[in-house]
Amino acid sequence: MLVIENLVKRYGKFKAVDGLSLEIDKGHIYGFVGPNGAGKTTTMKIIAGLLKPTQGRVIVNGTDVSVDPRGVKRKIGYMPDFFGVYDDLKVTEYMNFYCGVYHIPRPERRKITGQLLDLVDLSVKKDAYVDSLSRGMKQRLCLARSLIHNPELLILDEPASGLDPRARIEMKEILKELKGMGKTILISSHILPELAEVCSSIGIIEHGKMVVSGTVDEILKKTAKKKTIRIRTLDNLESALKYIEEQPSMSGISINSDFIDADFDGNSQILSEILKGMVMNGIPVTSFSELEGSLESVFMHLTEGGIQDAS
Amino acid sequence: MQVNPVIEKELKIKMRGWKAPTLITVYLGFLGLIVFLNFLGSKVISPNNVTQFNPPIALNSYYSLATFQLLMLAFITPAMTGGAISGERERQTLDLLLCTNLSPFSVVIGKIFVSIAHVILLIAASLPILGTVFLYGGIGITDLLVLFAFYLATAIMLGSMGIFYSSIFKRSSVSMIMSYITVLFLLFGTIIIYGIWSSIFSNNTGIPPGIGHTMAFMFPNPIYGFGSILYGSSYGAGIPGGLSGIISTVIPMSGSVYGGNTPNTTFPMFLGIQFKPWMANITFDLIVSFLFIFVSTIRIQPAKRFRLRIRRKKSQLEAQIIPKN
Repeated sequence: MLVIENLVKRYGKFKAVDGLSLEIDKGHIYGFVGPNGAGKTTTMKIIAGLLKPTQGRVIVNGTDVSVDPRGVKRKIGYMPDFFGVYDDLKVTEYMNFYCGVYHIPRPERRKITGQLLDLVDLSVKKDAYVDSLSRGMKQRLCLARSLIHNPELLILDEPASGLDPRARIEMKEILKELKGMGKTILISSHILPELAEVCSSIGIIEHGKMVVSGTVDEILKKTAKKKTIRIRTLDNLESALKYIEEQPSMSGISINSDFIDADFDGNSQILSEILKGMVMNGIPVTSFSELEGSLESVFMHLTEGGIQDAS
Repeated sequence: MQVNPVIEKELKIKMRGWKAPTLITVYLGFLGLIVFLNFLGSKVISPNNVTQFNPPIALNSYYSLATFQLLMLAFITPAMTGGAISGERERQTLDLLLCTNLSPFSVVIGKIFVSIAHVILLIAASLPILGTVFLYGGIGITDLLVLFAFYLATAIMLGSMGIFYSSIFKRSSVSMIMSYITVLFLLFGTIIIYGIWSSIFSNNTGIPPGIGHTMAFMFPNPIYGFGSILYGSSYGAGIPGGLSGIISTVIPMSGSVYGGNTPNTTFPMFLGIQFKPWMANITFDLIVSFLFIFVSTIRIQPAKRFRLRIRRKKSQLEAQIIPKN
């Protein structure tokens, strides 16, 4: 559905996007993760036809953005990170205006508006003025607006930014519903757990370059060089520590109040020998487990700690 | 037929509520008051019920109203259009429009139409008051139509100028200031330049400049075009000698700069017709409007193919200072 090939966007000597490539299949949700200034918004604006790339190609369902920008605009729905609304319009008038912009015949407008307001749960606010809506409602209204022409690809730039936890959950539910409708979605965020839950795959971008791309599991596998083992004992944690320190495959050992964490560099055979040795040496092991990889820690590691506070 | 959605939306917003009807009512009331005071002051209506038939008084009313409307047009239109595009940028709604199928040309045309529609509505609503002059004669329906066409061309020019500045500058306040500076230059700057040049010309040659010379300097000036329409109306009577108040302030030049009221005046010929000052002014308005609209369309086009070099350098500098994302 979306193919980006070697995309470059320069502003003078500064490269906002640097040789970025990715592919998104139809019906997938792709999460675009990166710290502020990484190039997410620039890339999305290029896909939406709002910026011209310095180099590279963006193809949306067979149509090149540089060759036929209007053709691509028919296929995409774009929701920017910062957007305004016309405060003097009512919700239905706002939707009606964008129906006109997309040349939707008048008889169909009421039906489409009704369906989309139902989808984003704003039907009760259809006669309200846009300026009376909360931020979360405005976000949902903007999402409904981007769906008016039934686009094949949705580009959502930080759709959950500035929303309270409840509004975030509602937004997530809408995204799941859109996925169920077969929409292809490119969504950006710097809040990883949010994306991990709804996305088929994610890409981490920094300094305009794609650092890693794939499913969440694939990324964890690719990036986790060492496993972390957490050991708990009934008592006598010091003897367990002494035993672990003697093992050459264990490093980076840290002791806490009731458990020991250690980096393990070896295979399953060695790991089972260590556990067996601990038991044979009379250490009362109650738990010996591999820690789940943390996507956030992977992200911090890959982006050199450049992540911003979640807003 | 599909109505431009920008026009539909903006008209709905502008005409909603009590503001628009109130504005029209106050404006027409004010124009009516001007006419009433004009008649009252000339004793056509008087407390002693002494009435007399005095056609020049009606003409004076007509000139006063027409001049007032020109000033209203010149100073209201830039305010209405100066923030049209930059306002969309400030509200962060421009990108939403430009990522749709709506062409930048439709956005520009829609904005111009809506901006001048309000002014034109005021002028059209005032036509019945202007029509009081028909009670006395001296002004024909053709004069009124020519005047209305002149207003329309001037409004289009001023409206597209406001849009042009609005597309150039990011802040509405800057674009409005630039619009007003340009309006003041067109209205008065050209007169000053012409005055200086004509005195130098007269000193050197010993003869006053001809109509061709005057038109060459004054053709962009709406006052010049307007003055020539007034001068050409009233069946050759010209602007009354005793013209006072607002008109003499706005139109300080003598009748000779409009070609005089003698039949021997030779206007420049164009396509076999005498090219009068108001025609030159309307032609200028339309050509300049076209250029303003063209450049504005290019300016707001996303993923621009044509860029001014200076603009590119500026954006490069901005990007180096504050990388945006």
